[in-house]
Amino acid sequence: MGEIIVVTSGKGGVGKTTTSANIGTGLAAAGHKVVLVDTDIGLRNLDVVMGLENRIVYDLVDVTSGNCRLKQALIKDKRFTNLFLLPAAQTKDKSSVSPEQMETLAKELKEEFDFAIIDCPAGIEQGFRNAIAGADRAVVVCTPEVSAVRDADRIIGLLEAAELRNPKLIINRIRPEMVKRGDMMDISDILDILAIELIGVVPEDESIVISTNRGEPAVLDQGSKAGEAYRRITRRIKGEEVALMNLDVPSGLMDKLKKLVGLR
Amino acid sequence: MTRTEHVALKGTREGLVLYFDPAADFGLLMNELDKLLKNSVQLLQGASVRCYAGNKEYTEDQHIMLATVLEQHQLELAGWLTKEEVYVPGQAKSYATEDRETRLADEGMVEGRCLFVERTLRSGKSVQFEGHVVVLGDVNPGAEIIATGNIVVLGSLRGVAHAGATGERKASVSAYHLAPTQLRIADLVTRAPDEETGGRGPEIARIKDDQLIVEAAGMSGWRGKAR
Repeated sequence: MGEIIVVTSGKGGVGKTTTSANIGTGLAAAGHKVVLVDTDIGLRNLDVVMGLENRIVYDLVDVTSGNCRLKQALIKDKRFTNLFLLPAAQTKDKSSVSPEQMETLAKELKEEFDFAIIDCPAGIEQGFRNAIAGADRAVVVCTPEVSAVRDADRIIGLLEAAELRNPKLIINRIRPEMVKRGDMMDISDILDILAIELIGVVPEDESIVISTNRGEPAVLDQGSKAGEAYRRITRRIKGEEVALMNLDVPSGLMDKLKKLVGLR
Repeated sequence: MTRTEHVALKGTREGLVLYFDPAADFGLLMNELDKLLKNSVQLLQGASVRCYAGNKEYTEDQHIMLATVLEQHQLELAGWLTKEEVYVPGQAKSYATEDRETRLADEGMVEGRCLFVERTLRSGKSVQFEGHVVVLGDVNPGAEIIATGNIVVLGSLRGVAHAGATGERKASVSAYHLAPTQLRIADLVTRAPDEETGGRGPEIARIKDDQLIVEAAGMSGWRGKAR
């Protein structure tokens, strides 16, 4: 029996789709049978980020409305044979799927896959309710901005109201040097308000932009810092205990000397 | 108390009470009531209200009209009070209750209905209660508490709090970490200073000389002695 994990945030642009793609790919790379489900009907992105746009024939709405079988709509990934994508419809809107249909779909996916990663649309309306309908677990993505934290807080409240207890937090796009200067919220500021379990901190990384444009998830890029963060998140989702990534800014020569002689 | 010339709304121990001037024209009363309810930001939506108009009796049509006006503001007409049941301002109360009230007030004690919120209130959550509210957790930015009595938060208060919402100026708001987006007591409103000064310890906000002031709480307790 598989597990349905919804990736959500409330605010747009914080990295839900990137996170979904990387967690899904990471789990598949570890040998699990994984499906990525894009529920952002009308504004689909996950197919582009995965580099699978040109293979779409059927979509989520076709499956839920019975136009095709689930198997027909699933797109096999380029890199992993155990990774699949169920794309969103682009020409319809969020009201073309109901939470009940999503629950039925979730049950079907659970029998087939080890993990189903649901990429949730921004907002708290129908699209959000659809995305969380069949989920067993939730991952909340948040950037170190007051507005994103506010929205994440609201989302956590709504998740709890929907009986999705203990959502996990990923802090995305943090810039250690800005935090050090005091110009950006740090991790403890965010945890102070949200008060949920942190499962990963992803640094701002140019390689994400490159990998998104290329349709190659960063989690596979061994040289990428963000990729390393996602690899650790993937292991944590599987239940392993992994330390948070060290995000310290490389210190100057004087600092190193001081450390050497035990001054700090 | 919130009032216009002929209508007044007051929170009592037994709930909200509307006072009508028995001598005033009914149409005028309805107009003023509508205005009064519209202007009250502290409206306790969904609450039931009882009315008092002395010995004056209204027709059935007028009853229906009153209920409709209340309904428009999400209030429910729960019934009428007689002269014996209501506390009319200025009218002497029975000795027993008066004696007890002064005694409690003397010792800095307040009693009343109380709601315990045994969780953190996150953004978008609103708690409205006729009485005191105690939160065993945080009140995050974007969440609000409206109470006719006092508000106590055993955690960080970062959202909006309105104590004494029906005009009780003796109401207070206290928190382990008091940093509300906005703080209201009765008809006074204040907002947090733009720069946050962290780590001040428990504080209490109340009205003193028509001003909303914030001071350290429990300074005479063990915490105060430790300093």
